[in-house]
Amino acid sequence: MYYQQQQSHPFLKIVVALPTMVAGCRGILEKGIQIDGLGMKNFLTYESNVLFALRFMIDCNVVGGNWIEVPAGKYRKTSKSLSNCQLEFDCLYSELISHAAEGEFSKMAPFRILSFDIECAGRKGHFPEPTHDPVIQVANLVTLQGEDQPFVRNIMTLNSCSPIVGVDVMSFETEREVLIAWKEFIREVDPDIIIGYNICKFDLPYLIERAATLGIAEFPVLGRIRNSRVRIKDATFSSRQYGTRESKEVTVEGRVQFDLLQVMQRDYKLSSYSLNSVSAHFLSEQKEDVHHSIISDLQNGNAETRRRLAVYCLKDAYLPQRLLDKLMLIYNYVEMARVTGVPLSFLLSRGQSIKVLSQLLRKAKEKNLVIPNVKRAGSEEKYEGATVLEPKAGFYENPIATLDFASLYPSIMMAYNLCYCTLVTPEDVRKLNLPPECVNKTPSGETFVKSNLQKGILPEILEELLTARKRAKADLKKAKDPFEKAVLDGRQLALKISANSVYGFTGATVAQLPCLEISSSVTSYGRQMIEHTKKLVEDKFTMLGGYEHNAEVIYGDTDSVMVQFGVSTVEAAMKLGREAAEYISGTFIKPINLEFEKVYYPYLLISKKRYAGLLWTNPDRFDKMDTKGIETVRRDNCLLVKNLVTECLHKILIDRDVPSAIQFVKNTISDLLMNRMDLSLLVITKGLTKTGDDYEVKAAHVTLAERMRKRDAATAPNVGDRVPYVIVKGAKGAKAFEKSEDPIYVLENNIPIDPQYYLENQISKPLLRIFEPILKNASKELLQGSHTRSISISTPSTGGIMKFAKKQLTCIGCKTLLSNSDQTLCSNCKGREAELYCKSVSQVSELEQIFGRLWTQCQECQGSLHQDVLCTSRDCPIFYRRKKAQKDMAEAKRQLDRWSF
Amino acid sequence: MENRVKVLAAAAASCFCFPAMAGMEIDTVENLQRKQSTYKSLDETFEIQNETYRGQQYSQIYFARLHMMRTLLYSLVTHWKPHVPVCTVLGLEEGKECIIVGTLYKHMKLKPCILDEYSKERSAVPLVKHHNFMHPDDHLVLEDESGRVKLGGTVLSPSVYVTGVVVALHGKETGAGDFMVLDVLEAGLAPQIEPQLKSREDKYVVFISGVSAGSSLSNPLQFQLLVDHITGHLGDEKEQGIAAEIVHVVIAGNSVEIPLGLLNGQNLASKDQSRLSEPVQELDISLTQIAAGVPVDIMPGSNDPANFSLPQQPLNRWLFPGSRAYNTFRSCTNPHCFELDGVRILGTSGQNIDDLKKYSEGRDGLEFMERTLKWRHLAPTTPNTLGCYPFTDRDPFLIESCPHVYFVGNQDKYGTRILKGAEGQLVRLISIPKFCNTGMVVVLNLRNLECHTLSFETQFSS
Repeated sequence: MYYQQQQSHPFLKIVVALPTMVAGCRGILEKGIQIDGLGMKNFLTYESNVLFALRFMIDCNVVGGNWIEVPAGKYRKTSKSLSNCQLEFDCLYSELISHAAEGEFSKMAPFRILSFDIECAGRKGHFPEPTHDPVIQVANLVTLQGEDQPFVRNIMTLNSCSPIVGVDVMSFETEREVLIAWKEFIREVDPDIIIGYNICKFDLPYLIERAATLGIAEFPVLGRIRNSRVRIKDATFSSRQYGTRESKEVTVEGRVQFDLLQVMQRDYKLSSYSLNSVSAHFLSEQKEDVHHSIISDLQNGNAETRRRLAVYCLKDAYLPQRLLDKLMLIYNYVEMARVTGVPLSFLLSRGQSIKVLSQLLRKAKEKNLVIPNVKRAGSEEKYEGATVLEPKAGFYENPIATLDFASLYPSIMMAYNLCYCTLVTPEDVRKLNLPPECVNKTPSGETFVKSNLQKGILPEILEELLTARKRAKADLKKAKDPFEKAVLDGRQLALKISANSVYGFTGATVAQLPCLEISSSVTSYGRQMIEHTKKLVEDKFTMLGGYEHNAEVIYGDTDSVMVQFGVSTVEAAMKLGREAAEYISGTFIKPINLEFEKVYYPYLLISKKRYAGLLWTNPDRFDKMDTKGIETVRRDNCLLVKNLVTECLHKILIDRDVPSAIQFVKNTISDLLMNRMDLSLLVITKGLTKTGDDYEVKAAHVTLAERMRKRDAATAPNVGDRVPYVIVKGAKGAKAFEKSEDPIYVLENNIPIDPQYYLENQISKPLLRIFEPILKNASKELLQGSHTRSISISTPSTGGIMKFAKKQLTCIGCKTLLSNSDQTLCSNCKGREAELYCKSVSQVSELEQIFGRLWTQCQECQGSLHQDVLCTSRDCPIFYRRKKAQKDMAEAKRQLDRWSF
Repeated sequence: MENRVKVLAAAAASCFCFPAMAGMEIDTVENLQRKQSTYKSLDETFEIQNETYRGQQYSQIYFARLHMMRTLLYSLVTHWKPHVPVCTVLGLEEGKECIIVGTLYKHMKLKPCILDEYSKERSAVPLVKHHNFMHPDDHLVLEDESGRVKLGGTVLSPSVYVTGVVVALHGKETGAGDFMVLDVLEAGLAPQIEPQLKSREDKYVVFISGVSAGSSLSNPLQFQLLVDHITGHLGDEKEQGIAAEIVHVVIAGNSVEIPLGLLNGQNLASKDQSRLSEPVQELDISLTQIAAGVPVDIMPGSNDPANFSLPQQPLNRWLFPGSRAYNTFRSCTNPHCFELDGVRILGTSGQNIDDLKKYSEGRDGLEFMERTLKWRHLAPTTPNTLGCYPFTDRDPFLIESCPHVYFVGNQDKYGTRILKGAEGQLVRLISIPKFCNTGMVVVLNLRNLECHTLSFETQFSS
């Protein structure tokens, strides 16, 4: 820590017998010990908080996913085996040979991957609890890494179950036998990696707690160490980047748990993390969802219904495996482990900082440096973040060139040699009297020595990471074999993420080794560069300088600057962009590099961090539509908003047709007001995290959950479920949270929705944001035009005044009440039969078409033609439509039947 | 053979007033008596009377189909391969040869899916519209109530079969859990009743489809010529003599084209109201003329103002205020089945074959027709890709008795062939072209089940 002039200090290395003693030893030393003659003395310890596994790996120069060689003759077979491993022998740790992941050794090990899923028979109205509810099925699939089909498929069921093609069905009489069979299966199959969906928080703890409830003492021996019981710990995982999440940590020795849910939450921003929507997103496949209240019914049926459940359970076990393959997670994570040197399991259970720390420790070891164990500051010290140039909002119909700094923060750290060991403390600046040409003074006022005095560790790590990435990218281009490609691509991605996380490591106040001097210097340099770039661009590319137009910087974010060169073709903008990037890069210290990457044309700049545009990287055709900060993915909006915004942007940017976008908005609003909207588009979903009483403010989904419990406790949402709701018309002045209602209930009872709520609270803001830069009086034009005049409200079939109403037929043509003698049309509309009939029948025909497509789709997902669709997945976009189609169909048919007399 | 009726432009203008002149002409020539035939409607199975949508799903129709077909196939299997054991998908054992009966399901990569509407990434390029959704990776799966098994081997070609066909398969389960198919048994042609070819005289049935009144393609003059020909208002005595031998007219769908774009849920302006009903009125006038002279059956088609899913119910009588007054005018279901002088005639307005064309391959339209007969199912792709009513206790599209004539309307080309069954059944297959495109109708002789076309052309020399 800090720049030191002397070369070496003497250190004391204390070796203890067991890893657990390190912490105690550290405590004693830090508190201080009484030394004869010296009195009470306390010490700053170094590298005393390194996890044992990591310590071992660093000392042996082993990284995660590493091939290890034990030379012949250097080991012997153990006399007494302690584990369930296939091979077990003793050898001296210093004899291990670690092979760097190159050439032959970059290949992936043939991991045995077990994917499993359990089903429990819950009681009505309760989420399954291990103290009450039995485990009824466990589905297992074992796959060898790199192969596309599992080589073991089985399912263990409680009570008989009819056979399933290609699956080994094992039925047991008691739950105890099921659990024991599973345990034996694990031991026999000996998987290296255990995957599943939400296994860490649900499946594994459930099995273990269930076994404890049943008093099966021998169950929780699942690891590779003989007689070592699996332990459950409550763990909270907190990270600046990922937020705080509670989970359970289940230690299974020798088997990595790879919970796909955690991976998804970590690596992808999705609107919903249910297995259903995740598989819909990545595998474009809807998963059948059986409500847990039906599971018990299926279990209590016969062998056939249990088979049905088993098929469902198997599918749930198979999907995580497919996700794993599709997203090449094993490759990416193993590569990440190799690059950063941490074990695979750390990547999921821990944050970014352990990865940087691991690299730091390795590098420090190489350089004969040790890292102090600094007390965590814990203070919420703030430093100025990245700069954002004030955006000039508007709709730009000229190409906008984007100049990006390639890996800005890592480059800054490298260029200015920013590191723990190059930072000069303010007193040292005074004392040491360093020559000014040997130091850099950062814009934030810190002093760092230049690399000729002391080369920083961080810059060196970064340099290695970035050169390795360059190499990986170059290899990737040459690679032919798809597996090799996957490995290399995973590697370059891992390298990029690692490089970027180094900066974060220095700035994280609760991390191992915070150093705000570094991080604030980095951002201050960043700010300076953006300003500098802006100035250079606007000075050089002027009409005075011989260019056609004056260039203008319209927006700049952390590491990019958007420039309007004023030219009208993408090609010209690209030429100028390249020129500018080259010119400006020349004025920076290496390796800071400004790159020209892409052109936006047209470009809609809304505000800070909100923009949309068509992205061009070659002048012939655009690559895609790129949006940022616009309501296309937010999860707490209804689907309508997303569809509307996407469609509008599509029309504006790709079709370049603003009037049709406006027309589209108007039609949609009119549809909404006329009650023609597909209900599923209006469903808002929120997770129920606590029970009603625990919420301080009344929220729509909470009050609804309460209400549904009163209606029917069995199907009401429980804590942990996601509650879908729509906003319906309430009494005048009713609060929004009182107007929430269950979409199914709404469909069944024809309850009118509240279009005004959707108009004002859901769609107006995002729409105005988009249209304001384009349209004058956007709000007036879009939200108050003549299309908002006609309104239609459906009549509720229950409650309120309907109890007193008398139903009478109305004329199909003009809605006049019919006298008793007429059946279909009033006397005024007679003569229009053909036309009106055409209308009725076309409605029926349209509905029939939708009905057929929806229900056959559900059969498709379910994977069976001969069985009824059971799925109640509310995440499925067609769930409500399917229900509505059924209901509308019956109604339309009744209308049509009035013609047949 | 083909008869052509040509009217040159000069005559064209006056053609419109033929009906008005009809009365006069008949007085001048010797009275020709139109031949008669006995008619028996067999549409009952296609009628949806008291069935409603009560939340039933499509599984029941598959169940009914499998049940009926399995009973049938099991009885055939005993003659086909008496020594091979029969089992269910569940009962399969690896390596053991057996016969399984089940519903085929074709897994198709390119099959359009309603979920695509919700897909995240809206592609910048509009999707190319496919006319055929076949893909080399498609494969077949056999399903019964007990489960599914993937089918392997080269015997069963995925390009021929479609989802919904029930077959018996001989084969064995492989190590990978697939079923290696060694041989296939289709149900084959249904038994046929002996045609009562009692009429030793020529009697003709005219088949028309795709008149599309009201569309830009249709030529009202052409249709009027046809009407006049049928009603005997055209040509000399010889020609009228032939016309008098027409005993029945069948209109196989798509008679009108209604500008459905007008129907967007809003109330219609009065001028649009009339645009909506004009084509139907036009059709009604022509039909009235035909019905006055000869029995006519009209079936709904995909573009007609009728429901969408099969079986399509008869076009409403309100649409035909003129022709409904005649008892010779019958509005029928699609599919439509009837007997004429003991000749059983079955046909559709084309949806079943059009759907097969999208999801399988064949040389021509007639081959698809042959397949449906051999599979004993008029529309196997219902309900999977072709909409149908969710029947609960029956599958009306099963062909229990083999027809003597099987026609399909609204095809691109005219085609006909005789199909011979294993038990000596003979079926006349007819693919009726669209009238609005070709000006062609098909004429069938009930005496010997031979058929020919009749073309109507109008030339305008400008």
